Amino acid sequence: MSTDNSTVRSASGPPDAAPSPIVASKLSKRYREVLAVDGVDIDLPAGVVGGFVGPNGAGKTTTIQLLLGLVRPTGGSATVLGEPIQHPERYLRRVGALIEAPYFYPALSGRRNLQVLARLGRLDDSRIDGVLALVELSARADDRVKTYSLGMKQRLGVAAALLPDPDLVILDEPTNGLDPAGIREMRSVMRGLADRGITVLVSSHLLAEIEAICDHLMMIDHGRIVFQGPIAGLLDAQQTGIIARPEHGADLKRLAKLCADAGKSARVEGDTLHVNAEESFAAELNRQAFAAGITLSGLEVSRATLEEAFFAITENEEAEA
Amino acid sequence: MWGSFTSEWIKLRRRSMILWGFGAGLFFPLLATILTIERASRYGPFDRGHLPIAALEQANGLVHGVTDVSSLIGVVSLCVFAAAFSIEYSQGTLRNLLVREPRRTQFLAGKFAALVVFVLVIVIVSIGISVAVAFILAPGKGISTSAWTSGPGLNALFQSVFHAWLAAAFYGVFGAAFGIILRSPAVAIPVAVLYFLVIEAIIVEAGIWSGGGNWLPDHLMRALAHGGNSDATYYHALVMLSIYSVVIAVAVAALFRRRDA
Repeated sequence: MSTDNSTVRSASGPPDAAPSPIVASKLSKRYREVLAVDGVDIDLPAGVVGGFVGPNGAGKTTTIQLLLGLVRPTGGSATVLGEPIQHPERYLRRVGALIEAPYFYPALSGRRNLQVLARLGRLDDSRIDGVLALVELSARADDRVKTYSLGMKQRLGVAAALLPDPDLVILDEPTNGLDPAGIREMRSVMRGLADRGITVLVSSHLLAEIEAICDHLMMIDHGRIVFQGPIAGLLDAQQTGIIARPEHGADLKRLAKLCADAGKSARVEGDTLHVNAEESFAAELNRQAFAAGITLSGLEVSRATLEEAFFAITENEEAEA
Repeated sequence: MWGSFTSEWIKLRRRSMILWGFGAGLFFPLLATILTIERASRYGPFDRGHLPIAALEQANGLVHGVTDVSSLIGVVSLCVFAAAFSIEYSQGTLRNLLVREPRRTQFLAGKFAALVVFVLVIVIVSIGISVAVAFILAPGKGISTSAWTSGPGLNALFQSVFHAWLAAAFYGVFGAAFGIILRSPAVAIPVAVLYFLVIEAIIVEAGIWSGGGNWLPDHLMRALAHGGNSDATYYHALVMLSIYSVVIAVAVAALFRRRDA
């Protein structure tokens, strides 16, 4: 498989003086015949909430495991907090991580599970109450983990990640199993971390979730990074559209002709007309419709969602391949 | 290593671990002590299961039964180690642990040391309770216990505890290796028990390798637990098991360091 960087799109963000907490160059991991991570280049700016998105099996978890020193790369290099991933002992004391799923000792309480990790990492036990309170588990802290719901285990996983008072937090699918209130709370926790200057890398296959949380984005597909940069830059670069709704359905064809005359393609969907055009054409269309005696009961600009952007990019990648 | 040691102790204090470890560790010595005393008699016929009361009244009479089954405490140790190491894989907790302690050799060493101490506590408690039961039962069978509390008697007792613990620690090395290599308690424990309780016995007892008792680990550990026996002297067993343990520890640590978590 190619490790050519030319296929990696990027939207450059504002220059940042702080060194990037995660930098990878042509990082690869092969499991026998399967190339799980294929020459990945990463440059995650400091202090952002970075989203790491891609479908299941795209290589997100393997990349995270590489960055945490849990699996050995078969090619390329990477640094985390300025230290090479071959020496995770140099940087993991400053990294909090929730990997893949919240695995704990079911017969121990949430507090005891955190104590296991705190003692192991020679971390301050006194932080345990604070992180339990942060994820709202104080009331159940002394109950056995086997009595916890998936959402509670997920929150305990986030508490475990925050235990070392980290400079970098890596969360793999942190909203799995959370109810809407829990998801909202998780967003707030992540934003709060970024506000304190902590860089957060959060992976998910739920693109809408990432769109709501993150300000920086890395897209991975088939083990390759297909986009990285500010999320706003990506969405701005996607094609916008205009949705017009005439007061009378009989006017849809005349409205479509007006668009065609202006060189814009359009299609009818139900009682609306979807026009492939930039935002500025909305005012022009409104004027022309009025001049033609068509009253519009609705006119809105539609922007591409992250999901649409992802599919646009990956489909383009496949076409180029 | 200290972090790994203290963190492991939180897990070892689980109720299930204490009940299972101490229950199994206590059962065999207690049973052996009761049977040894109850089946002892003044007059023969005597065999391995029926000892003369005169033998039990010797300084080492107190630990006769316990010594016979100390290798079974070793099998309990084998299972405890195999379970403790393999469960981190099967439960998915190993990754969390290695994020907090990425120095894998230190992680292994601390965990192993904690388990060795845990097994020592099992050995002391189980032999201690067996000894207490022996003191309670002996008068009923007319067995004099005065030699048991003499200097040589206490020396025999402490030696018995030390040998049982040493054998249990060597069993632990093998248990840890099975746990790390096989990565599942459901596989590691049966395979380890099958090898030590069945396969080695078949190899030696069925005459496939009649000299195997001098080289195979289970026979050496039994010899060690007894302070030497017909298979191997105490020092031969100690040297051979030390060599095996170093080789296994180096190989397993290398595997653990290189293998993806």
